[in-house]
Amino acid sequence: MITYKSIGAFILGIFMVSAAALAQQKGGNDISPERKQAIDSLALEKVRDLSKYIGIIGSKKTPFSEANRVMDRAEELFAPDSEMGVSSLNRKEVTYYKVRKYFERLMALNYDRVSIQWYNIHYISDLERQPDGRYVGVVTVYQRFEGVSDDGLKYKDTTKKDITIYVERKKTQIQGRTVEFWDVMLGDIRVTETSA
Amino acid sequence: MINRILFFVILCSFAYPLRAQLVGDMADESRLYAETKQVNQFIRRFNGEEDEKGNRYYPRDKNYRSVKLRKKYLGILFDNNNAGIRDDMKVQFGKAVLEGTTPAVLDFHGPNWFAEVQTVFTFNGKDQTVTLFMEIEEDHGGYKWVLSKVHADMFDPIFQRDTTRVGRFIHPMSHELAFMNLRKAFAATDSISQFTVRRFRPDHLSVFLYEIKRGNLKFKQVDNVKFHFFQINGWYFELSQFNRPGYNNGWLISNLVKLNDPREKTLLQKHLYYETK
Repeated sequence: MITYKSIGAFILGIFMVSAAALAQQKGGNDISPERKQAIDSLALEKVRDLSKYIGIIGSKKTPFSEANRVMDRAEELFAPDSEMGVSSLNRKEVTYYKVRKYFERLMALNYDRVSIQWYNIHYISDLERQPDGRYVGVVTVYQRFEGVSDDGLKYKDTTKKDITIYVERKKTQIQGRTVEFWDVMLGDIRVTETSA
Repeated sequence: MINRILFFVILCSFAYPLRAQLVGDMADESRLYAETKQVNQFIRRFNGEEDEKGNRYYPRDKNYRSVKLRKKYLGILFDNNNAGIRDDMKVQFGKAVLEGTTPAVLDFHGPNWFAEVQTVFTFNGKDQTVTLFMEIEEDHGGYKWVLSKVHADMFDPIFQRDTTRVGRFIHPMSHELAFMNLRKAFAATDSISQFTVRRFRPDHLSVFLYEIKRGNLKFKQVDNVKFHFFQINGWYFELSQFNRPGYNNGWLISNLVKLNDPREKTLLQKHLYYETK
């Protein structure tokens, strides 16, 4: 189900972004406003997929085998070597986790009930061109976490997640024709607890 | 003031439909809308390049860099808890930014701004604070952050030199003896900085790179990040991140200084870079 939807989003991304690309052939290296909007949509789709996967992985109702399968899908959203840098309000120290390790810790959290919700707010930065020709941006989202143990102990926090997105122009063959498209991968994520 | 409150209400009244499970608590959410969430958003708000929802304006848009919009944004971009930034200074600054023949804008790719990154490294197993100064540099048609300077208190003793007294020196006829007395000069390692030319300025960046390459200095974490802007003619401001309850949150102007002449600018820059001479 999730896989079909991801493929759907990918193909939609190809058409949306290719259309914008064709309209902006003379645009040089800069990303046109139309193309930027199409890329933003694709990036948000990936962020929403990640949000959904985090909810499934963190849920105590998710069977172990299913959580592992979802972790595989979630990992596919990221560029290799991506990390999560996590800090809290009362602990200045930043803990760095590889993405897979972060998901495994989320799955193993010692609560009987876990609720992960997302604020309906996001902020998408401009895209900046890197020396290697790829573009990079940051999407900011906010998540509220609540964990309750059977003896009534409750932990809750709101975290700001600044998510790196890499945007790269790629080519693929569809029915013998070469189609150019812009692919979006997630990168490092900085997780900070907020005082909200 | 009424304008400012009104602007907050407008700013807080927008919401996006999102398919994931959502938090419906509008009190919390309005705070997040008001927050200047990224440095990118600070620059866009400062320049009047986005709407209240965070959607970008482009040069073809009517409101792009409009003075009216910029006036509204400028009011919410200061740290209101800092009594050191007086209201009359904010007004003067606003005039300098918006009322010239060409209103001033911040340029992400331009010169005259830099990041100050407080980091912790372990040096021979002990935690040490190292301040990195970083700039944006163009490379192969793209951009990257590069190290421009470094300061670490632990490197200071290496370069300490007492110039008030006649210390050790290499006498002026040493050349006639093919500098054979260098053997004695370099024997006492704690006095070698006395043999440098007066104009020598210690360069912590070189030592920093050397110690990392030698494997003695290992990165641990970033403690704090702030930015210093000299892009507005005659003004300096510092940009810091605030994470606290309320609406005055995120990336905000935490220090504002009027620069009356180029000498003041040079002095301030030296101060920021820990350069005492």
